[in-house]
Amino acid sequence: MATDVSIIGQSTRVRGRIIGTADVEVNGFVEGEVAVSGAVIVGVHGMVGAGVAGRRIVIRGSVRGDLVGVESVTVEEGGRVVGDVRAPSVAIAPGALVRGYVQAGETDAMPAIARVSESAKVAPAPAIAVRSAAKVQAPAALVGASGRHAVAAPVSSARAPMAAQQSVPVSTRAGGQTQSPAPKPPAPQQATRQPPPAPVVPALKKVRGQMAKKRER
Amino acid sequence: MAQARIPNRSDNTREARIGSGARVRGRIHGDGPLVVEGQVEGDVAIVGDLTVMSGGNVEGANIEAASVTIAGALQGDVSAKGPVRLVAGARVRGNLRGSAVSIEEGARFAGRLDCEFDLPPELTNANRSEERGRAGSRR
Amino acid sequence: MTTTVIGAGITVEGEVTTDEDIVVAGTLRGKVQAKEGVTIESGAVVEADVAASSLVIAGALTGNVSAVERVDLQAGARVIGNVKAARVTIADGAQFKGNVDMDV
Repeated sequence: MATDVSIIGQSTRVRGRIIGTADVEVNGFVEGEVAVSGAVIVGVHGMVGAGVAGRRIVIRGSVRGDLVGVESVTVEEGGRVVGDVRAPSVAIAPGALVRGYVQAGETDAMPAIARVSESAKVAPAPAIAVRSAAKVQAPAALVGASGRHAVAAPVSSARAPMAAQQSVPVSTRAGGQTQSPAPKPPAPQQATRQPPPAPVVPALKKVRGQMAKKRER
Repeated sequence: MAQARIPNRSDNTREARIGSGARVRGRIHGDGPLVVEGQVEGDVAIVGDLTVMSGGNVEGANIEAASVTIAGALQGDVSAKGPVRLVAGARVRGNLRGSAVSIEEGARFAGRLDCEFDLPPELTNANRSEERGRAGSRR
Repeated sequence: MTTTVIGAGITVEGEVTTDEDIVVAGTLRGKVQAKEGVTIESGAVVEADVAASSLVIAGALTGNVSAVERVDLQAGARVIGNVKAARVTIADGAQFKGNVDMDV
């Protein structure tokens, strides 16, 4: 009778944690963490009192803890989460309630990537910490590309654009074309054509590669 | 900094629009609704709805509106009385606050979501065993 | 009433209390208190004291077992611990080490 999907029934309470390699559906109350390499579903009546880590996570109930998905995290309507949410793909439905830091998609210079690796026993950590270097790289790449280059320079540090703004000349031309070759530094959206939200953009890969090389030294 | 004010319209049939070729550097305030297809660098504080189209880019420290829908890029803290929606293709960085914050699959986002709500009582007090698990680190 | 299933590939560490049936095919370490039946399937590894209305054991259990009604050890079961129940059966092929208390 044993299937690949484990189910913690609605009237079941686990004063402990659940780990493993298969899928698990929680309709009861798990006080500790749920960390598996399969899929995790927290049903409408399910409650988890600590973090949830899995390949694909779907929350319809309540979680007090961080959600770390190797592939995706989905919080459906009625779901309630107090904690951080990190995954390459995050969907939070209207009617879902989330309070915490959310990181959806791979973006450079995202802080606290290290926390992902420590929290998810089984989920690999996309460890990318190219913050400081990317700051330096991006402006050069952008300036050379006259603003049309879809460099996914990190929409990273909020400080950079503010500082750079003061030196960028004002060009307010309503209705005209934005020809100014001095774009705001980390503003890849200069291009009229929006780059698709691909997790890795060629230019990005290059930046990362350079960073990886630097770190290896 | 220049300030752009959206004229007060008795009927909201015509929205204010910042076209794809336009670039505004300064604070935008007024009634709205406001549709951004171009570039905005500065705070936005409007009474109506804010829409950032897929080609639009808003960089402001503070963005306030009745509701906010983002298909393009936005960087800044968003505070809406109503819903905040990120649709697929959006690239947003900053903190979001609204009556209902939703993020579509395919949107990219980094920042905090601040929603006022309570968890069930079983999860709200220290009614948990010592087994919190490393994944349950909390602020 | 639904059934709680701890499948193969899943490990539960801690105390489990439930009003429904439990089927364990994976690993459970800790303690189990079930109002209904507990089934420990072949291949399962349970290191816990188990209290239930009834138990069927075909896997490995290390711990004390207490059932209101009955405990059945099937062929292939490996039980190390004390068993207390109104009715106990130990099938041929089951391995058992411990005390049996059938004091009603």
